[in-house]
Amino acid sequence: MKKMQRVLLVWLGCLVFLAACSSGNNNPGGTNTNPAAPGNNGEEPVSAETDGELPHVELIWYYGVSQVSPDQQKIEDEVNRIVEEKLNATVKLRPIDFGSYTTKLNTASAAGEKFDLVWTANWAFNYDENVKKGAFIPLDELLEQHAPQTLQAIPSFTWDATKYQGEIYAVPNYQTITSRYGASIRKDLADKYGFDASTVETLEDLEPFLASVKENDPGITPLMLTGPGTKFEPFMYGFDDNGVRIGDDTFQTQILEETPEYKSFVELMHSWFEKGYINDDASTVKQIDAIYNGKYASGLESAMKPGYEAEKKASNGGYDVIGIPFTEATTRRTSNITTLTAVSRTSANPERAVMLIELVNNDPELYNLLSFGIEGTHYEKLDDNTVRIDPNASYRAQNWVFGNVFNGYLVEGQAADTWEATKALNESAFVQPTFGFSFDDTAVKAEYANVMAVKAEYEPLLMTGTVDPATYLPEYLTKLRNAGADKVREELQRQLDAWVAENVKS
Amino acid sequence: METYAMRRSGIVNALLNTFFILLSLVIIAPFILIVAVSLTDERALTTYGYSFIPTQFSSLAYEYLLQTPMVILRAYGNTAFITVVGTLLSILLTSIIGYTISRRDYSFRSWVTIYVFIPMMFSGGLVPFYILMTQYLHLKNSLWAIILPGLLSPFYVLIMKGFMGKIPFEIIESAKMDGAGEWRIFFRIILPLSTPALATLGLFIAFNYWNEWFNALLFIDEDRRVPLQLLLVRIMNTLDFLRNNSEYIQGLGLDMSQFPNESVRMALVVMVAGPMMFVFPFFQKYFVQGMTVGSLKG
Repeated sequence: MKKMQRVLLVWLGCLVFLAACSSGNNNPGGTNTNPAAPGNNGEEPVSAETDGELPHVELIWYYGVSQVSPDQQKIEDEVNRIVEEKLNATVKLRPIDFGSYTTKLNTASAAGEKFDLVWTANWAFNYDENVKKGAFIPLDELLEQHAPQTLQAIPSFTWDATKYQGEIYAVPNYQTITSRYGASIRKDLADKYGFDASTVETLEDLEPFLASVKENDPGITPLMLTGPGTKFEPFMYGFDDNGVRIGDDTFQTQILEETPEYKSFVELMHSWFEKGYINDDASTVKQIDAIYNGKYASGLESAMKPGYEAEKKASNGGYDVIGIPFTEATTRRTSNITTLTAVSRTSANPERAVMLIELVNNDPELYNLLSFGIEGTHYEKLDDNTVRIDPNASYRAQNWVFGNVFNGYLVEGQAADTWEATKALNESAFVQPTFGFSFDDTAVKAEYANVMAVKAEYEPLLMTGTVDPATYLPEYLTKLRNAGADKVREELQRQLDAWVAENVKS
Repeated sequence: METYAMRRSGIVNALLNTFFILLSLVIIAPFILIVAVSLTDERALTTYGYSFIPTQFSSLAYEYLLQTPMVILRAYGNTAFITVVGTLLSILLTSIIGYTISRRDYSFRSWVTIYVFIPMMFSGGLVPFYILMTQYLHLKNSLWAIILPGLLSPFYVLIMKGFMGKIPFEIIESAKMDGAGEWRIFFRIILPLSTPALATLGLFIAFNYWNEWFNALLFIDEDRRVPLQLLLVRIMNTLDFLRNNSEYIQGLGLDMSQFPNESVRMALVVMVAGPMMFVFPFFQKYFVQGMTVGSLKG
C-alpha cells in the first residue's frame, strides 16, 4: 500500500510538472487572454473626448486572409507605431486563413474568448447567425460618438443592410455593393464573327454568337457555366430577391420556381445545352480555374463592376473580353454584407475598438499598410495611387477585410477612376423594394433547411440546362412543395408584411 | 510456417503474389503521382494534366517552398518536437496506467478500468474543451495544446492492459522475492517484455501526433508555432472553401493567383508525408509481432 502511495505521488508530480511547463511555455506568447486593466470601462466615456488622455489598451483583431504571411509581425509592428500614437493602443492582429476562419471563430466566440474586433461576412463566420447568437454588440451609439466619418462615408442603405431588429451590429467594409447580371464574351471571337455586342439586350440575344462559336471553333466551349455559379437572376425578370414583383405595392411574395419566367429561363438553358453550347460538366464544375483558362468564349456574370473587364482578362487566358450587362446595377442586402467588421461581445473596450475602426477607415496610411504592406518591400508604387504587388511578396492580404477600399491604392491594371466609378455606381444603384428586410427562419427552421437541400440538389442541374425541364421542373416543384416551400413562403410573407408596415411609407 | 509455404503449389503462389503486387501498386501509385506532379512544370500541368512521368521537368515548386526556408523549417521543428515529446510521454503514461490496471493484486483495478473506459464513450464537447484549454490552462499558442490532448488514449491503454495482463504474474512475484521494488519491476522486467506493444502503440501514437492538425487549428495563431500539417491544411482548406463560396466572393475580386499552384501544393504534400515513410521501416520488425497485441492469440 505504501508503495502504491508513492506511485500516486510521482503521478501527481508529473502532472504538476506538465502544468508548469505549459504555462511557462505560454507566457512569452503574450498575455492575450487577460482582459485589459480593470477600471477602464468606467472612465472611458469621460476621457474619450481628448485622445491624449486615453488609458493604454490592447485590442485583438481577428480577420480572414488567404494565407498567413511570413512578414505578419513586421506589419503588426508598423501598425502599432501608428495606432500607438493616435489611439494609445496596441493592436494584436490575428489573421486566420479563410478555410479555418469559420470553425475557429465559431469556437472562440462560443467559448467566450476575449477579443475586440472581428471580421464577419455572409459567407464566412456568418454575420446573421452570430448576430442572433449575440456574438456582437450593437454599435449605433458608439458609431455616432466615435466614428462619425465612417458613418457618413457609407450610404444609409448599406447601414440598413447590417441592421438586426433596428440596430447596427457591424461596420461594412465599404466596397462594390452592386450586382449587375450579364455576360462576358471574348472580344477577338466577337470581332471574328462580326457580332455586335451593343445589340444584345437579353440573354436570348447571345444565341447567334454561341452558334457561330460552336460551328467554327471546335476546341472552345461557347458558354462556360458552373453549378454553384449559375443562378436564376430574379432582378433580370423583374423580381426582387424575396420574390416580390418590382412595383408591386402590396408586396406579395411568390415562389420564384413556380413563375413562368423561371420556366422560360431553364428551358432556354436546356435548349442551349442540347445544342452543345454549354460545357457538358457544367453541373459539377465548381469554379472556372486554370484548366478552363482560355478555352471558353463566354460566361454569365452576376457581379459586373467597374474594372471588371480587366479582372476577367487575367482569368481567361489574357483575352480581352466585352462585358454585356442585362440589367441595371442593383443593390441587394447580400451584396452589402459580404465583408464587415464587428465588435465582439467579449470586448473589454468597445469604445476603443470602434475608434480603431474609424482610424482604419479614414487613415489611408494605416489602411494601405494593412492591405498592401510596406512600400519597397512588399509593393512598388507605379504612380500616386496605383501599386504593383510583388507576386512573391512576403506579405499579402485582402484589402476588403480591413475597411473602406476607396481610401486605398489601386492595383496595377485597374483604371485610375475605378474608385470614383464604383462609388458613383454604388450610390446610383437601384435599391430593391424589400432592401433591408432579412428573413428570420427560426419559426420554419426544418422546412427552410429542407427547401434549401432540395434547391441544392436540383438547381445546378436545371440552371445549367443539364436536364430536361419538361420532366425535371415539375418533379422539382413537387419536391419543393413537399419540403414545405409554401409554409416558408407564408412565414416570409408574414414577416415581410410586418416589415412593410414599419418601414415603407406610402 | 515455412514447410507450408514450400508445399503451396506454384499457381497459388503466383496468384497470391500478383494480388499483393497489385495491392501494393494501388497504394503506391497515388504517392508516385503526387511526387511526379510536384516535379512537373505548372504550365505543362494545365495543358496536359497529371501524368506519372513529368511531361516537363521542373523543380520550381521545391525552390519556391525553400525560398522561405524558415517557414518550413520551423514547421518541421514544431512537428518533430510534438511528435518526439508527445510520443515518449504518451507511451510512458499509457504503459504505466496499462500496467497498473493489469495487475491482479491491485484492488481498485476494475474501478480504474471503468474510469479509463468512460471517456472512450463520452466527451465534453468542443466548446467546453476549448474553454478548458484557453481559459483555465492558458494553452493558447503553446505546443502543449497539441501534445496534452493526445497524451492518453483509453483505447491504447486497454490494448496495453491486454498485452501486459498476459505477462505471467509469477515473473513479477519472483522479481519481488529477489528484492526488486515496483519501479525496478516495471522498468527492468515489464517494459522490456512489452517491446512489441510499445513499438506498435508508439508508431500509432507517433502517426497521430505527426498528422495532428485540428487542435493546432483551434489553438495556434502564431506563425512560429504552426506545425507542418496545419500549414498544409490551411492551404488546401482555404482553396476548397473559396471554391465553394465563389458566388459570394465573385464581387470581392479575390486574386486566386495568390495561392500556391498545383505543383507547389503537391511538393508540400511530399515534404509533409515524406519523413514518416522513412520512420516506418524501423518499426516494422516489431510491427508484425505487435499486430496480434490485444488479440486472444497466445
